[in-house]
Amino acid sequence: MSKVAVLMRKAPYGSVYTAEGFRAVMGIGIFEMDVALAFVDDGVYALVKDQDPEKLDMQPLGEGFPMLPEFGVDEFYVHQPSLEARGLSVDDLVMDVQLLDDAGLAKLLAECGTVMPF
Amino acid sequence: MKIGIMVLEGPYQHQAADSAYHFVKAALARGHEIAGIFLFTDAVNVSNRFIKPPGERNIAHMFDELGQQGVDIVACTACAKFRGMKRDLNVDNIRLSGLGALAEMIQKSDRFVTFGD
Repeated sequence: MSKVAVLMRKAPYGSVYTAEGFRAVMGIGIFEMDVALAFVDDGVYALVKDQDPEKLDMQPLGEGFPMLPEFGVDEFYVHQPSLEARGLSVDDLVMDVQLLDDAGLAKLLAECGTVMPF
Repeated sequence: MKIGIMVLEGPYQHQAADSAYHFVKAALARGHEIAGIFLFTDAVNVSNRFIKPPGERNIAHMFDELGQQGVDIVACTACAKFRGMKRDLNVDNIRLSGLGALAEMIQKSDRFVTFGD
């Protein structure tokens, strides 16, 4: 079974995509599929520490990602140019990730049989 | 080739559902097999049997017709609940199921295509 890449592209609370992407990862992760998560563009904000969306009546998303290895999902990639363009570094993130440049991201996506963009 | 489809946007608001429909028609016409269509997030609204657009294409009927032709179409149960939909609101040939159905479709597909924003 080939690998599934789930691509997080959007900021975590303005729309439902990141939350649903997270649900999809949990959903397919428990079916023992090989899943890689890649955060690009505004999607990198999903991993930023100390998210407090309570005033938006939303549940914090950032804390969910470090729990995913319990569901068999343990490949986390962040597009470094997206991170840097937003003034962020790995120190701002809730978990250890592998950084990718443009070529690295392209290679990852090419390796995955399925890409699900959220 | 077996092709799986996911739609991530609601009907009429966005072109995704229309594009998915035309893609599936074209793929079937070329002799490909559709492993399934998963209606996720607002796309579950495609399954609303009461859709009645004055003077325009009826997207619910379009997908119902694909289902009638044997394409497995699944609307995400949780997403439907979030949108106040009930089982009897669904057109006949779209079924409600969970993310397990999505996982199955991905596993069955040679290619998986997402239509979204």
